[in-house]
Amino acid sequence: MNASEGEGRRTFLGWVSAAIAGAIGLVMGIPLVGYTILPALKRQKLSWHDVGPEKGLDPSSPKEMDCIHSVTDGWQKTTTKKSVWVVKDERGAMTVFSPLCTHLGCGYRWEGTQQQFYCPCHNSYFSVDGKVLEGPAPRPLDTLPAKIENGRVLVIYKEFKAGTAKKIEL
Amino acid sequence: MSRRIVQWLDNRLNLSPIRVALLDEPIPGGASWIYIFGSITLFFFLLQMVTGMFLSIYYSPSTEHAYVSIQYIMDEVEFGSFIRGLHHWGASGMMVAIGLHMLQVFLYGAYKKPRELLWVVGVVLLILTLAFGFSGYLLPWDQRAYWATQVGINMVGTLPVIGDVLIRVIRGGQNLGAMTLTRFFALHTLFLPWLLMTLVVLHLFILRRVGPAGPWDEARAARTREPFWPKQVAMDAVAIGVVFALIASLALLVPAPLSDPANPSDTSFTPVPEWYFLFYYQLLKYLEGPLEIVGTVVLPILFFLGLFALPWLDRRQGRRPVSRPIVMGAGAGFLLVVVTFLGLSFYEVASLPTSDPSVLRGTALYQELDCAGCHRIHGEGEAFAPDLSYVGDTRNRNWLFQHFRDPQAVVPDSDMPEYGLNDQELNDLTNYMLTLKR
Repeated sequence: MNASEGEGRRTFLGWVSAAIAGAIGLVMGIPLVGYTILPALKRQKLSWHDVGPEKGLDPSSPKEMDCIHSVTDGWQKTTTKKSVWVVKDERGAMTVFSPLCTHLGCGYRWEGTQQQFYCPCHNSYFSVDGKVLEGPAPRPLDTLPAKIENGRVLVIYKEFKAGTAKKIEL
Repeated sequence: MSRRIVQWLDNRLNLSPIRVALLDEPIPGGASWIYIFGSITLFFFLLQMVTGMFLSIYYSPSTEHAYVSIQYIMDEVEFGSFIRGLHHWGASGMMVAIGLHMLQVFLYGAYKKPRELLWVVGVVLLILTLAFGFSGYLLPWDQRAYWATQVGINMVGTLPVIGDVLIRVIRGGQNLGAMTLTRFFALHTLFLPWLLMTLVVLHLFILRRVGPAGPWDEARAARTREPFWPKQVAMDAVAIGVVFALIASLALLVPAPLSDPANPSDTSFTPVPEWYFLFYYQLLKYLEGPLEIVGTVVLPILFFLGLFALPWLDRRQGRRPVSRPIVMGAGAGFLLVVVTFLGLSFYEVASLPTSDPSVLRGTALYQELDCAGCHRIHGEGEAFAPDLSYVGDTRNRNWLFQHFRDPQAVVPDSDMPEYGLNDQELNDLTNYMLTLKR
């Protein structure tokens, strides 16, 4: 065997080893990446939650209602309680607001005397229909999908990115 | 391009001597297919390490959540069943690889002077691997895991004087429970990996210092010398490729088992250990009463002491098997015992009745609800609805469970009635369906 022939054989054997290592890496790598990433990107199936009776909603005062919903957190199912603000206007149309301020996600409250929503964290004020009146909030209060069925208020609970002018669902 | 990068790094880090130390080690007698088993074992260790790390992303080591988290990996996580399958079959593969590796070293007398330390570290690695197998078996927290571990730990209790204390130390308390699971998890995923890794490095370091033994025929060993790279590496790589293909196919075709959740009050379960402990499990069946301690304590201690001492027990020069009749005879005798007991055990385990109580309850439920009024299993029952003879092959646990709970939610136009079963009944029926396989 001359030198170049030997060198060719060595290179070939090197390629064999590298090719097998590469193939194993691929067969392992793709599933491992999918395994790690895909479950994290899955979205929860959203469903309607009963937050209470329609009766007793008064146009002049938004009502804080509890939205109890079960969350599937991987292999764990937990029940969480969130409150939502339900507002009925004079014509009877209903709006439901997410309970988080659009500025940085603090909880806000209804100031009955001033007829305004007020977020104590950074002094944002919103009108009864959710518009920003004052303060750093970049967009109106976030509305949630809502409907009335058999006299009960049903809501789909979602959260949105805080601090952006556009409403971006998380 | 890659050559230039290597060149650039070499100029700065002076890598050539490391390459020489790692890859240019001369193999007496040249490369051979008989030397592949060490590399295969190392590959299995790396496979276990990688798949294990990824499994721990979703696993939760608590008695409350361990089982459901494994169920989640198997049914919900993309590729989860494959990754767990690789880890499960990889464990068995590693045992086989270690067995063959030790057999080769034994046959070639490669443990003899000057390689005594290499052998001793190897035996420690074997013990660590067995500890890996035992501690990992508990983690799914299913019936198999719980009861096999219960038996395993109780065997330690037969040790005189310190047995009782040792049981509690291993369990982390009086009972096999939450404290046991967390310590086994820590052992399996933190303590053992670091220990094993350190010893693997030591094993390889000693190998590189003392050099591989080569063929037992000294004339043949002296005739040629060939560096580890590239031929032996290529042979190892081909072997690893074949083994990986095998393990990956197994992981795809035969999912890792998961029985019912661990239930300490259900004593009807017959625990069977993993196959690599089976021959020993079988042996213990023949040693009763005062002899029991011989099986649980004396024999294992003697066995491992014998393994450690082997290089000093077999000191005569010359590595030819024919010139070492006593050692070869002892080795063959040991193999014969292992194979015989393993065979006996397989035979007995196979003839065990399907005693999974959940499956029995599920079968009863199937009759009680008159499912055969619409479904057919192996020719029995009506054929209005899908044939269930092999439903375990086509539907997974989650699908069956959800379908029994609310048929129309899974198959919108299904005619199947909703029976309003509770979770236990849903689980029982699902377990029964999962046994219907080809």
